[in-house]
Amino acid sequence: MSPLTPDDRWYQRAVFYEVFVRGFFDANGDGTGDLRGLTEKLDYLEWLGIDCIWLLPFYQSPLRDGGYDISDFFTCLPEYGDLGDAVQLVEDAHRRGIRVIADLVMNHTSDEHPWFVESRQDRTNPKADWYVWADDDQRWSEARIIFVDTEKSNWTWDAARQQYFWHRFFGHQPDLNYRNPEVQDAMLDVVRFWLDIGLDGFRLDAVPYLYERDGTGGENLPETHEYLKRLRKEVDAAFPGKVLLAEANQWPSDVTDYFGDGDECHMAFHFPLMPRMFMALRREQRYPITEILAQTPEAPDGCQWGIFLRNHDELTLEMVTDEERDYMWAEYAKDPRMKRNLGIGRRLAPLIDNDRRVGELFHALLFSLPGSPILYYGDEIGMGDNIYLGDRDTVRTPMQWSPDRNAGFSRADFAQLYLPPLMDPVFGYQAVNVEGEMRDPSSFLHWLRRMLEVRSHHPVFGTGSFEVLSAENPSVLAFVRERPADEDGDGDIVLCVNNLSRFAQPVELQLGRFAGKTPVELVGRVPFPPIGELPYLLTLGPHFFFWFELVDLP
Amino acid sequence: MIAPDVLAKALIEFLPRQRWFAAGEAPVGDVAVVDLEVLRRAWPALVWVEARVGTGASGDRYQVLVALRPSGEPAPFLQGHPDLTLGELDTDAGPAYGYDALVDPDLAVELVRIIAPDEDVTRARLVPGEQSNTSVVIDERLFLKVFRRLHAGPNPEVEVTRELFERAFLHVVEPVAEWRRGDTDLAVLQGYLGGGVDGWAMALTSLRDLFAVQETQPIPIISDTDPVPEPVDPSAAGGDFSGEAERLGEMTAALHVAMADVFGRARGDAGVWADTIDDRLRRMQHREIDRDGAQAHIEALRRIDDPGPSIRVHGDYHLGQVMRTDEGWYVLDFEGEPALTIEARRRPTSALKDVAGMLRSLHYASMVAMFERDEEHTTEAAAWEQRNREAFLAGYLPRARAAGVVPDDRAATAAVLAAFETEKALYELGYEQAHRPDWARIPLAALRRLSLA
Repeated sequence: MSPLTPDDRWYQRAVFYEVFVRGFFDANGDGTGDLRGLTEKLDYLEWLGIDCIWLLPFYQSPLRDGGYDISDFFTCLPEYGDLGDAVQLVEDAHRRGIRVIADLVMNHTSDEHPWFVESRQDRTNPKADWYVWADDDQRWSEARIIFVDTEKSNWTWDAARQQYFWHRFFGHQPDLNYRNPEVQDAMLDVVRFWLDIGLDGFRLDAVPYLYERDGTGGENLPETHEYLKRLRKEVDAAFPGKVLLAEANQWPSDVTDYFGDGDECHMAFHFPLMPRMFMALRREQRYPITEILAQTPEAPDGCQWGIFLRNHDELTLEMVTDEERDYMWAEYAKDPRMKRNLGIGRRLAPLIDNDRRVGELFHALLFSLPGSPILYYGDEIGMGDNIYLGDRDTVRTPMQWSPDRNAGFSRADFAQLYLPPLMDPVFGYQAVNVEGEMRDPSSFLHWLRRMLEVRSHHPVFGTGSFEVLSAENPSVLAFVRERPADEDGDGDIVLCVNNLSRFAQPVELQLGRFAGKTPVELVGRVPFPPIGELPYLLTLGPHFFFWFELVDLP
Repeated sequence: MIAPDVLAKALIEFLPRQRWFAAGEAPVGDVAVVDLEVLRRAWPALVWVEARVGTGASGDRYQVLVALRPSGEPAPFLQGHPDLTLGELDTDAGPAYGYDALVDPDLAVELVRIIAPDEDVTRARLVPGEQSNTSVVIDERLFLKVFRRLHAGPNPEVEVTRELFERAFLHVVEPVAEWRRGDTDLAVLQGYLGGGVDGWAMALTSLRDLFAVQETQPIPIISDTDPVPEPVDPSAAGGDFSGEAERLGEMTAALHVAMADVFGRARGDAGVWADTIDDRLRRMQHREIDRDGAQAHIEALRRIDDPGPSIRVHGDYHLGQVMRTDEGWYVLDFEGEPALTIEARRRPTSALKDVAGMLRSLHYASMVAMFERDEEHTTEAAAWEQRNREAFLAGYLPRARAAGVVPDDRAATAAVLAAFETEKALYELGYEQAHRPDWARIPLAALRRLSLA
């Protein structure tokens, strides 16, 4: 009945699409995007060819942290709609073969959450121990302060209860006390509630910080992993085929801990890859990329990396600046443009100077490197950003559907919009919008859709092994994705060759291992000269790439 | 299997065609096969040959691995390698044709199996463009380096790589096996740095990027007067090399510290070093050399009390001898300057000789990249060289000084370095005069600049 692929490991081959509901489409004309609006645009997402929608938080919230300050886990934010709208979205998406996952903040709640309101009243109420309270603010001083710009301490004084409460993020986001079994169970109830409704999984926000312990930085503690294993077990038992995606902003070799032995999270973000792609582009050489991939452990069986070019957050430099293990920090500090651009939230297109060829190259890399790609809404049409909005709103302007009023996003009065759409001559909605790009067969949108289609025919991109090929030209990144033949005999070998330079480049690849096979270009299905014993010579135009399938032609 | 005199006759024609043959292309009179071993008798056969060129004990020793296949059998791998054939030869198994066995993938693999019986190997490819050795990549993971000119005693490449690797210096390739006959090193099998790129290609990539940034500057308005593009600071270009150069300097310091630990250090003798350079200057004939300027550096070196210790060095250190990999920089090829005798190559000297070599190489890269672009971008090329020179030294000097492999005194360091840069430029000038007269202006420019300093 459901057209969803029955495979429990669907997420290894899926393409994800991150949606900011507020900015996607406004169905009721109040100036704010909503769940019904997203449902109305499912046809578009199906046409585009994505497999799974990732929703930013859509729960009840005072919105002091973009909805990551949840004040009721069981209610939708009223301006987004109600529970019925959420159910409708999931059902309609499933009917189109699209899955839906959502952000879930497990570490903390809003200080307006009824649990906290009760907990702070006194030291004896039933929820008194649901948060982390202390008489002084000296404990766990080893734990770093994450939002150093706004927070002076991880402890905040509460006048009502006459105690300090613990928070790893903002002072209005008290951390839940996971040492309390009632809290553990309550959060499992939240998970069950949404999976019951049909959600296909969660992106687990700020997952390393669930527990605190004396003498530690309060990150990645064994207790946290224990709880995640329990969560996974409960999910697998009652809801097979769901996905847990960890947001652990750490070095890849530490992030793999969140896969456990394949018994914790199914997926985890690979954070350092993306800034290194920009560095590789700047340097016109592959090492920033190949180095981090060389340091990335293979995901355990059944697990998968989540990779992205941009997302809703600004690129946090914290995890790319581990001096002891990495030279990137020094390189960033020296390069004025890297510092300027990657320290603040920008969209992809302005970051790459709106260069179509670079945009194609970056997406080709995103779709072919190991991991499941995650697109950010609007990047498929090359949307721009508005740096004057400040903070994270820079990249959260309304989706540009058409050149009509309000970019076709809403029928409300312009003044009523949650944020103004872009109107500049380069990225404004008159120039950049879905309608225009759908009409234009040579648009970036059509190109991207075509590449997604090509990718979907080759599961090797999701699950194949990954091997970088040696090339004496440092500007060329060439690698092979390979999946051995299974019982049905359909193995697959894909060769990807990428030119990171703005100049045309030659490359000689040592493909002797594949001698006798013929590279067939994946988009046009044109056979190239067969591979022999001699080095295989390719020439690549500026920022050009090739995807080849290596086949045995009769 | 084959008579030595049959081979000797074929080698008279064969040797002068080889790049590794030191006597050049002039016909050779006297070739003797002084040693021979059949490594594989079945077809295709493999015969190891030591030839002596010239008469008596003073002759040069070469090794040739001769492949033999029955006449008429196809050999597709010989396509494009007419230089590597030895022609039709009589053998006790019938008429055959001979050629350099290393071009034959089957026999190269066979040779590796002889040298390293424990290795499981299947595929070989000849590395093109080698100068003094012949190398074969095996299965994209092993590197077989076959020496062509033979010397009694340890080959510096074999000796240094093995010692450094065993003392846990992390920036050399792993020695896998050595092939030796008596006291003579014949070949070495090492790990292959797949994914690596030599420093020269990295430097040119950076320079091309810098020049392109300069060429594509936004122009505010179009006016009648030709806009003069602003010079671009290399630190603002995307392809900035200074981080790489600094890490290269760090690696070089670690190399010298390891060399001193392994092979020992002695008090440096500035007088001896000065004599060597002086000797080179006297042998160099070129009307554009400012001899007084060069002499001043030599005499300044001679006057230094403590020029730092004397240690084993790389000896032929430049961007082409270092490889950037996913694990950082590696240093390759410890054979030293090919024109020198083995004794001279193994002789300890100042660590700053290597440093001078790398600094000269940075200058070369900047000039060659500029030549590629019709010699525009003089300012950028000079700024690039300056920036990366400083970055290399910033990576090198503090570590080298702390470990005592260079003088404590900064003025002394500068003087020793200038003298060795002068020596290197003189060497380059000799080489360019003989091989690439157009490029003689690179060392000449360096000598001029050194004179002014």
